[in-house]
Amino acid sequence: MLKIQSEVNHKTIKEALRIRKVEEKFLELFSLGKLNGTVHTCVGQEFSAIAFAGQLKKKDFIFSNHRCHGHYIAFTGDVRGLLAELLGKATGTCGGIGSSQHLCHNNFYSNGIQGGIVPVAAGYALGNKLKDNGAIGVVFIGDGTLGEGALYETMNIISKWEIPLMIVCENNFYAQSTPQNVNLAGDINARAEAFGIKAFKGDTWDPSLLMSKAQEAINYVREESKPAFFLVETYRLNAHSKGDDDRDEEEVNNYKDKDFLNVFRKESPSYYQIYNDAIDVEINDFVEQIMREHETDFNDYHENNQTVSSNEWQPVESISKRQVELLNEFFKDKIANDERTVFIGEDILSPYGGAFKVAKDLSFIKPDRVFSTPISEAAISGISNGLALNGFKPFAEIMFGDFITLAFDQIVNHASKFHHMFNKKVNCPVVIRTPMGARRGYGPTHSQTLDKFLIGIDNVKTLSLNTLLDPKIVYEQVFKEEHPVLVLENKVDYGKKIAQNIPANFKCEKNADEYPVVRIKPAVSEPTLTIVAWGGMSEFVISCLESIFLETDLKPELIVPILISDLPVDLVLSSVEETGRLVIIEEGSQYGGIGGELLASLAEKSEVAFKVKRIAAHPVPIPAVKSLENIVIPDKIRIIKEIKESFI
Amino acid sequence: MALVQEIAVPLIAVNDTTLTIVEMNFSSGQQVRKGDTVITFETSKTTYAVEAEAEGYIEYLCELNKDYEVNDIVVKIFSSVEEVKTTPTKKASINGSAAKKQVAAAKTERQWSGETVFSHKALELIEQKQLNKEVFHGYDFVGKDDVNIYLGLPIETKQVKQKGLAKAHDNQPKVIAVDTAKAAQQKLSSNKKREISYLSDVQAPGLTSTLYTAVEVDNIFVNLNQSLKTLKNSLLPIVIYETGRLLKKYPSLNGYFAGDSIAIFNDVKVGFAIDIEKGLKVLGLEQTNKLTVPEIEERILSLSNDYIDDKLKIEDLSDITFTITDLSGLDVTFFKPLVNMQNSAILGIGAIDTKLQRCTLALTFDHRVTEGKLVGEFLTELKKRIESYRPKGIVPKNVTCFKCLKDLAEDTSGIGFVKCITPQGEEAYICQSCIAGF
Ligand SMILES: Cc1ncc(C[n+]2csc(CCOP(=O)(O)OP(=O)(O)O)c2C)c(N)n1
Repeated sequence: MLKIQSEVNHKTIKEALRIRKVEEKFLELFSLGKLNGTVHTCVGQEFSAIAFAGQLKKKDFIFSNHRCHGHYIAFTGDVRGLLAELLGKATGTCGGIGSSQHLCHNNFYSNGIQGGIVPVAAGYALGNKLKDNGAIGVVFIGDGTLGEGALYETMNIISKWEIPLMIVCENNFYAQSTPQNVNLAGDINARAEAFGIKAFKGDTWDPSLLMSKAQEAINYVREESKPAFFLVETYRLNAHSKGDDDRDEEEVNNYKDKDFLNVFRKESPSYYQIYNDAIDVEINDFVEQIMREHETDFNDYHENNQTVSSNEWQPVESISKRQVELLNEFFKDKIANDERTVFIGEDILSPYGGAFKVAKDLSFIKPDRVFSTPISEAAISGISNGLALNGFKPFAEIMFGDFITLAFDQIVNHASKFHHMFNKKVNCPVVIRTPMGARRGYGPTHSQTLDKFLIGIDNVKTLSLNTLLDPKIVYEQVFKEEHPVLVLENKVDYGKKIAQNIPANFKCEKNADEYPVVRIKPAVSEPTLTIVAWGGMSEFVISCLESIFLETDLKPELIVPILISDLPVDLVLSSVEETGRLVIIEEGSQYGGIGGELLASLAEKSEVAFKVKRIAAHPVPIPAVKSLENIVIPDKIRIIKEIKESFI
Repeated sequence: MALVQEIAVPLIAVNDTTLTIVEMNFSSGQQVRKGDTVITFETSKTTYAVEAEAEGYIEYLCELNKDYEVNDIVVKIFSSVEEVKTTPTKKASINGSAAKKQVAAAKTERQWSGETVFSHKALELIEQKQLNKEVFHGYDFVGKDDVNIYLGLPIETKQVKQKGLAKAHDNQPKVIAVDTAKAAQQKLSSNKKREISYLSDVQAPGLTSTLYTAVEVDNIFVNLNQSLKTLKNSLLPIVIYETGRLLKKYPSLNGYFAGDSIAIFNDVKVGFAIDIEKGLKVLGLEQTNKLTVPEIEERILSLSNDYIDDKLKIEDLSDITFTITDLSGLDVTFFKPLVNMQNSAILGIGAIDTKLQRCTLALTFDHRVTEGKLVGEFLTELKKRIESYRPKGIVPKNVTCFKCLKDLAEDTSGIGFVKCITPQGEEAYICQSCIAGF
C-alpha cells in the first residue's frame, strides 16, 4: 500500500476528486440515456490535468483532445458549463454543439482529431510569441497519437522556431483497444530529444512530484521561450469511452489499487467523505438545474442565407501588369502595413520568394512575419489555423495545388469546423493559397486541378482566381473575411496580364458581387450558347471564343465565377434561359465535379428545358508530355468538337 | 475597280443619335494606307477614330465640324482614283440618314461600329446566295441564321429551349425587390398587367421575328382621299382592306400557336390597336375581307367612338384574328410591333417619311406558326397592292394651289387643279374651291 505524500495539499486532492466525480456523473447519466453521444473519461489520470492545466496562467492556453474533461475543469473551473454542454443544453460551454470532445472557453480548445491540434497549438503559441505577451501553451496528446505525422512536422518546427509550447503526452499505455507494444516503436522521450526539444517525465502516482516537475517545465517554456515535451505515465481506470474495455481485469485492478485518490480514500476516509459529499451536492444541484433547461434552437445555430448575385454590370478594366506582380504588390503592402499579416509556406524566403515568386521580397520587408517552413503541409496549414484563432491574418502558401491534400485535415476538420462547433465563440480567418493547373508540363503530381475537392467545405469560401479581375481587389476582400478562404491560383495565369486578351467584338463585364462574376458576351448580338468556366480554364476558353463562333455558328457568352464555393446559379440560369444551351468546361476531371454541382442547382431552379454538355479533363493523371497533356486537359479542338456534337 | 470600304457614323452611345466630325485627315481623292486614321467622330463623351481597312483612294461625303446621323455613310474608299467623285457630296444629315434607312429597310438592329465577324457557315451561305457582305454592316457577329433572317428564310439552328409543361401558362414574372431609396415604386395597373400577359404569350418563348418593308406612297392620297370621308391622309383603311383580303390567301397569318398544333381561324377579323387614355385595346372588324374601304372607315370611326365612350361590346374585342397597329400619327417611322395572344402576326404601320414619300410596314410573326419566306411574300404582296393606289402616270411635284396653298394630294374634289397665270404673271395652279368657291 502506498503512503500518501504529505505535501499533496487537499485543495489539489479535492480538485482531482471533483474531476473524477463529474466524469462518474457523466457515465451515470449516460447509462440513464440522458447523454447523447460519447464520453472519454480520464478517471485515473486527473493529476496530469491538474499539474499542467491547473498550473498555467489565465493568459496561457490549452489545446486538448478527446479525453479533455479533466484538462477543461482544471484550467477553467467551469464544471457547470461542462455538465450543461454534455447534457446538450444551450447554456453549455458550446451550446451543446461540441459536447465532450469539442470544448472552447477562455483560451481552452479541444478537438477530436488525434494529432491535428498539435500544429494548431503551435500556431497559437507562435501568435503569442509574435505578440510578445509572455503567454505559453500546452497541448495534450495520448501515447497512441505518437503515430500521427502532423505531430512530428510540428515538433520539428516548434524546435526550429523556438515556439513556447509544451506537448504533454499522457501515456496510459493504450490507444483505444490497442496496447502500446503493438503500435509503438522506439522510445517516447527520445523522439522529442531527436528534435532538440527538452523532454521531461513524471507520473500520476506521485502527484506532488508531478506538480513540481510540471511547474519546472512550464517555467522552462516561459522563461526560455522554447518548446518542451512532457511524458506523463498514467493509467485510465475506466473504459476507453463507455463500455469498450478488453484489458486484463487483474491489470486494471492493480492500477485501481495504486490510484492516488483510491489510496487517499482508504487512508483518509473521513476527509474523503466530506469532500465527496460536498462535490456530490454541487454536481447534483447543477444537474438538477440543467435538466430543466432548453436546448439550442436550430435557428441560433444555423441561418440559411441564400446569396443573390448582383445583376448590375460594368466594364472590366484591363491592367497592363502580370497577375503575379499584382499579387506580390498586395502582399508587400499587407506585410508592411498590417500587423496581423503573416505569410507562411515553403521556400518563400527572398531572394527566392516562393516557387512562383508571389512572396518576392516579403521577408526582406518584414522578416519576423514571413515564415519559410520545412516541407510540412499539415503543419503549415495547422499553424496558420492557430495564428488565425489568435487574431492574425495568416496567408499560407501550398507550393503546388496537388499538395493541398496534405493540408486537407486542417481545412476540413479544423478551419471549417471551429466557428460552428465552438458555437460561434471563435473565428478562424485563415487563408490558404495554392497554384493549380496544367499546361506547363509538370506532370501527374504537379499539374492537377483539384478544385472539385475543395468546394462544399462548410464555412469555407473557395476562390478560383482568374485573369479578368485585379487580384489586389480580390485579395482585399479576402483580407476582410472572418472565416477560412482557399484561393486557387493558376500557374499559367501568373504570367498573364489582367483582362488583356478579350477577343474583338466581345464585351467583358463584371457584376457588383463581393467576388465579381465576369461575363464575356457578343458586343451587340444575343448569345446563343452559355459557357461557364473558371480559374485557369477561363483564360483558355476566352482564347477559343472566336473559333467557337466561327466553327459552330453559336454566339457564345462566357460566364466566369470566381467564388466557386457559391456558384452564381441565378446568373447562369438567366443566360441559359435565353440561349437554351450550356457548356461547362472544367480543368479537373468530370465525375463528382463542379459542373455537376452547378447543373444540379440549375435543374432545381429552372423552369425551361435546356441542353447541357460538360467538358472536363480525362480521368487520368496529367501526363508531362505536351501532346498528351493537351489531350487530357480540354483543348480547343476537343471543346469545339464537343460543342458541335452536343448542340448542332 | 471597287469600293473597298464604307464608313458610316457609328452608334457609340445610345443617346447620341448624331455625331460631329472633328477630324478629316485627308482630302477627297488622296491615297490612304491600311491603318491610317481617316476620320474622327465626337460624341457627347468621347472621340472615336476610324482607320482605313485597306489601301485605296478616299472620298469624303461629309464636312468638318458638321453633325451627321448614326448610319450615315460619310467616307468611301475606292481601289482606284478614277472612282472618286472630285466634288464631295455635302449632304445634310437628315437626307443621309433617310438614304441609309432605305438600305436598312429589312434589317434588325445594328449597333456595332467595329468589324463584322462571319461564321464559316454564314460565309458559305453568303457566297452561295451571292450576297454582298456589306449588307451586314453594323453587326458584331453574323451566323448562318442571321443570313437566313436577312433572306427571309427559315431559321435552321435547332431550337433547344422549351417551356416546362407544367408552367406553360404561368408567365408570372420574377418579383425583383426595388430599393425605394433609389427608385420610386409604382404599382402595375391591371390594364398594364393584362397587356403584359397578352404580349408574353407569344413573345416570351422568343421565337418571333420581324420583317420590314418600305412602301412607296408618293401621291397616294390623291386617289385615296377621294374614297375617305374623315380619315383623310391615313393609310389605315386601305391597309385593313388589303390585309383582310390577303389573309385568306395566307391563312397561317390568320391563326395562332396552340401548344402542339396550329389553329387557323375560319373568319378574318382584323383588329386595330387603339390607345387614347383608356388603355391599349384592339378593336376588331367583323368579316374584314368582305368590307369595302368606306365601310372600313365607317367601322373604324364608330369603334373608336365606342372606345372613347366606354360603349364597346364584347364582340368588338374578341376573336380578333390579326392585328394592325398604326403609329403613323406619332411620327414614328420604324418600330417592331409585338404579337398579341392567340394571333400569329401583327402588322405595324410607320409614319410616312415626307421627304422620301415612303412608309415602313413591319410584320412581327410567330415562328412556331409560320416562317420568314412566307411572311416575306405576304409583305411584298401587301406592299405592291398598297402602292397600286398611287396615281398612274406622272404626277407633277409641288402642285400647290397658289391661293390657299393646298397640296394636290390634299385635294378632295376629284377634279384636280387648274393651271393658271397669277396676277403677277407667273405660271401656277389653282384649286377647284378657290376658283369656283365652295
Ligand atoms: C485522426 C484520428 N484517428 C483516429 C481517431 C479515433 N480515436 C479516438 S481516441 C483514439 C485512441 C487515442 O489513443 P491515445 O492517443 O493514446 O489517447 P487515449 O485515448 O489513450 O487517451 C482513437 C484511435 C481519432 N479520434 N482521430
